[in-house]
Amino acid sequence: MAEYRMHLMLCAGTGCVSNRSLKIEESLEKELKKHKLEEEILIVRTGCNGFCAQGPIMVAHPGEIFYQMLTQKDIPHLVEEHFLKGRPVKELMYTPPEEKAPVPKMGDIGFFREQRLIALRNRGLIDPERIEEYIARGGYTGLAKALTSMRPDEIIKEIKDSGLRGRGGAGFPTGRKWEFTAKAEGEEKYIICNADEGDPGAFMDRSIVESDPHSVLEGMTIGARAIGAHHAYIYIRTEYPIAVERMRKAINQAKEYGLLGEDILGTGFRFDVTVHRGAGAFVCGEETSLIASLEGRSPEPRIRPPFPAQSGVWGMPTNINNVETWANVPEIINRGAGWYSQLGTDTSKGTKVFSLVGKVKNTGLIEVPMGITLRKIIYDIGGGILEDKKFKAIQTGGPSGGCIPEELLDLPIDYERLTEAGSIMGSGGMIVMDEGTCMVDVARYFVDFLRGESCGKCTSCREGLESMYQILTEICEGKGKESDVELLEELCAAIADGSMCALGGTASNPVLSTIRYFRNEYQSHIRDQECPAGVCRELIHYLIDREKCTGCLLCVKNCPSDAITGERKEPVNLNQEKCIKCGICFEVCKFKAVEVK
Amino acid sequence: MSNLSTMQKGKIASVLVIGGGIGGVQAALDLAESGYKVYLLDQRPAIGGTMAQLDKTFPTNDCSMCILAPKLVDAGRHQNIEIITMADVDSIEGEPGMFKVRVKKNPRFVDESKCTGCGSCWNNCPVRNMVQPDEKETVKPELEEKDLEKITELMGDNKDGRGTLVPLLQDINTEYGYLPQNIIRYVSTDLDIPLSQIYNIATFYKGFSLTPRGRYIISVCLGTACHVRGAPKILEALERDLGIKVGQTTSDLNFTLEAVRCVGCCGLAPVVTIGDDLYGKVTQVKIQKTIEKYKGREYAKAKT
Ligand SMILES: Cc1cc2nc3c(=O)[nH]c(=O)nc-3n(C[C@H](O)[C@H](O)[C@H](O)COP(=O)(O)O)c2cc1C
Ligand code: FES
Repeated sequence: MAEYRMHLMLCAGTGCVSNRSLKIEESLEKELKKHKLEEEILIVRTGCNGFCAQGPIMVAHPGEIFYQMLTQKDIPHLVEEHFLKGRPVKELMYTPPEEKAPVPKMGDIGFFREQRLIALRNRGLIDPERIEEYIARGGYTGLAKALTSMRPDEIIKEIKDSGLRGRGGAGFPTGRKWEFTAKAEGEEKYIICNADEGDPGAFMDRSIVESDPHSVLEGMTIGARAIGAHHAYIYIRTEYPIAVERMRKAINQAKEYGLLGEDILGTGFRFDVTVHRGAGAFVCGEETSLIASLEGRSPEPRIRPPFPAQSGVWGMPTNINNVETWANVPEIINRGAGWYSQLGTDTSKGTKVFSLVGKVKNTGLIEVPMGITLRKIIYDIGGGILEDKKFKAIQTGGPSGGCIPEELLDLPIDYERLTEAGSIMGSGGMIVMDEGTCMVDVARYFVDFLRGESCGKCTSCREGLESMYQILTEICEGKGKESDVELLEELCAAIADGSMCALGGTASNPVLSTIRYFRNEYQSHIRDQECPAGVCRELIHYLIDREKCTGCLLCVKNCPSDAITGERKEPVNLNQEKCIKCGICFEVCKFKAVEVK
Repeated sequence: MSNLSTMQKGKIASVLVIGGGIGGVQAALDLAESGYKVYLLDQRPAIGGTMAQLDKTFPTNDCSMCILAPKLVDAGRHQNIEIITMADVDSIEGEPGMFKVRVKKNPRFVDESKCTGCGSCWNNCPVRNMVQPDEKETVKPELEEKDLEKITELMGDNKDGRGTLVPLLQDINTEYGYLPQNIIRYVSTDLDIPLSQIYNIATFYKGFSLTPRGRYIISVCLGTACHVRGAPKILEALERDLGIKVGQTTSDLNFTLEAVRCVGCCGLAPVVTIGDDLYGKVTQVKIQKTIEKYKGREYAKAKT
C-alpha cells in the first residue's frame, strides 16, 4: 500500500449522500489534483458517522479534525488552507449550540464524547467496501480464534458469560438461544440475521450493515460454528438498497479471502450466506413471520412454540438474531466475556445503539453503555431540545414502545427499567418530543401505523386497532367522550390478550403510556376541545400577531388558499373561513408573527 | 320508537326479523322469550350468517361456532320462532305497530318436512358429477417478444430452488414499475404457482403495485421522527400541489405519490425521496419548489 500523508474520511452514509457528499468528493479530487496532492492525500469513503444532522461530514486524519456541513464552494479554500498550508479551517468545524468557539477534534464534541463504540467500532474509520480495511482494524481475528482454539460449547459459554442479550427487541439472552439451537435435533441448521428494520424512526441496523458489513458476517460465522449451521440468510428491508449491495459485496470479498464458503481458514468448516430482500411489511420483522416470508409464504406469524430454535426455516432448527447482536459477537470473542460484562447494569450488559431523532439539536446514531440516563443522552449527547423549547417526552422502542415523561429522565436505561416505565428497549429508536408534540396525536399515529401493518390474522388485533384508531381520531377532532379513555384502556387489555404475536401484544404500549403520563392532555381534548400542543387541526387556528407582522407579504405569496390578504408594510389579515390550516404561513414567517391557538 | 304507545295498544304481537345472522338470531330469541311470535327471514338456504366461518370472536377470543351453534338450535326449536329461508322481502307497508310485509319465498325443490338429510341426492346429482374441465389456467398468455425475453431472464436469475417467488416479483416490479397482469399470469403458469397465491403475496407487501406508476415516485416519509417534525403537512402540501391523493398517479404518468414509514434517514427528518434522490429537512415551501424542477425536467425531455 502506498503511504499517504493524510487521510480524508468522507462520510458516504445515506444521510450524507443525500446531502450531496459524493459531489464533495468530486470537488475534492479536482482540487487535490490541481495542487498535485493526489499522491499524498487519500480520500476514503466511510460508512455513516452517526451525526447525520450535520452532513456532509469529513474527518481529516491525523488530527481527527471534524468538518461538517460542507458545500462544494468550501472545498478550494479548505484544500488550500488546511491540506496545503496546514491551517485547519475554523469556519467549517462544528460549533456546539451554546458555545462560540468551534471544537476541532471529533472526540471532543459532546455528541461523540459520551459514546462507547463496540458494535459501531469501525464507523467512520474504514471503507466498508474494502475487506482489507476491516482486517487491518483487527477484523476476523475473533473468527480465527473461534475456529482454531475454541470448541463450539466454549463459544456458547463465552457468549453466555458476556451477558449479551438480543438487540432486536425482546432482549432474550443470546447465549441461551444459541444453546437451544445447538442442542436441537435436525439434519441441517440455519442462521438468520434480522435486518428488516421496520421500526419507523430507527436506522441502527441500516447503519451497521452499510458501514461495517463484515462485522455482521464475522459474527454470523462464529455463531454458525457454535451452533453447527452451514447456511445463513440475511433478511434486509427493500427500502435499504445500499445495505443490500454492500452486504452482497462483502460476502463476495469474504469468499475470495477464504473467510466464507468451503473450508474457512483451512479448518474444514463450511458456511455460506444468502441475502434476501424484504418487500415492505413491518410484521416481517417478527421471527416466525420472517421465516414464512423467506420461504415464499404469506408472512403471517404463527403460534410459538415450536420456537424457531426447534423448527424454523424449512422446518429445521434456526437461530435468528438481530444485526446489532451479531455485530457484537466478534468483539466479545476477541476480548473476552469479562471485558464485555464490565459495561452496563446488573441485568443488561454492554452497549446499545440508539437512533436519537426528533426534536433534539444533535440528531443521529449513538452507541452508549447500558445504564446511562436519558437526561445524559438528551442533553449531553443530543445537545438539548431544538429551539430550546420545553422537553415533553421521549418515545423508545418504536410502535411497541411507550412515551417516557420528564419525571423519569434520570432513569438509567436497561431492558427491565424501561419495561417498568411502560415502554420497552425495542430495537433502539429514541424519538424526542417537545411541547409542540401532541401526545394524543402520537398515540393515534402509532395506532394508525399498527392498524396498517397488522397482518389481520387475529381478530382482536385487526378489529381492535381499527376501533382504537376511530376513538383516537374522534378525540383529536374534539368529538371525544368522557368515557373514551376508559374504553381505550379496556380495548388495550383485550388486544394484548387476544393476539398471537408481539405486534398485537405490545400494540397497547403507546396508548397506555400516553394515558398513564399525559392523561391531562386527553382531558383537554375531550373536555375543553383544546389541543395544548397546537397540532390537532380541528382544534386549532392560526392568528396573525399584528404587532409583530411587518407586512413583508411572504405569507400572502405562499398561502395556497388565498386566505391571507394585505398591503405591503401593513399587518396582513387572515380570513378564518378560507384558511385550510396548512401552516405554510407559520412556516415561512421570519418574524414569528403567526401564532397557533 | 316514539310510537311505542300505539304499539302497546297494538293489535298484533308478532315481529319479523330480517336477516338470520347472529344479530338476527339473537334478536329473534330475545323477542320470542318475551312472548312475541317471531318470523326470522333469511335470503340464504340456512340461518347463521358468516359467523360460523369465523375462527374467533372479538374481544374474548372465544370459539365462534361454540357461541353460535346453541343459538341456532334454540332458534330452530323455539315455539315462537318461525324460520323462513330462501326468501326475499318484496314490500313493506304500514306503520309501527301494524306492518304488512310481502315475502317472496324462493323455491328449494326439496320438501323440508320430509327430507332426512341422507345425502343421496347430493351424491347422484348429475350437475355435480359432470366431468369439469380443469379450472387451472393451462394456457400460457401470449407475451410480446421483448417482454418474453425480459421475463425469461428474470426467471433465470431467480431459479435457485425454494422461496424465490418474492424476489422474482420484486425484480418484475422494479423492471416494469408494477406487476403487469399478463406477466403475473405467465409466471403463474410457468412456475405452476396458483394465481391466488401470487396475488396474496402481491397485495400483502407494500413493495408491490398492481397498477402502473409514474416516472417519478415521490415517497414522503411518515416515520415517527418525520411525523413529529411535521411530515403530515408535507404530504398534504404535495397532495395539493399535484392534485392527487396519496397512492395515486398524476394523469400524465409523471408522478406517483406514496407514503412510506421510515427510509432510515431519520436524522434529516422530515424526509422525501423523489426517484433515487433523497431530500432531507424539507418544508412545505421547499418541497413545492423541488417538485417544480422535476416537472421541468420531464418537460425538457419531452421536447428533445
Ligand atoms: C412486530 C414485530 C416486529 C419486529 N421487528 C424486528 C425488526 O425489525 N428487527 C429485528 O431485529 N427484530 C424484530 N423483531 C424481533 C424478532 O421477532 C426477534 O425477536 C429478533 O429478531 C431476535 O433477535 P435478537 O435475539 O438478536 O433480538 C420484531 C418483533 C415483532 C413482534
Ligand atoms: S422517520 Fe423518516 S426517515 Fe426515519
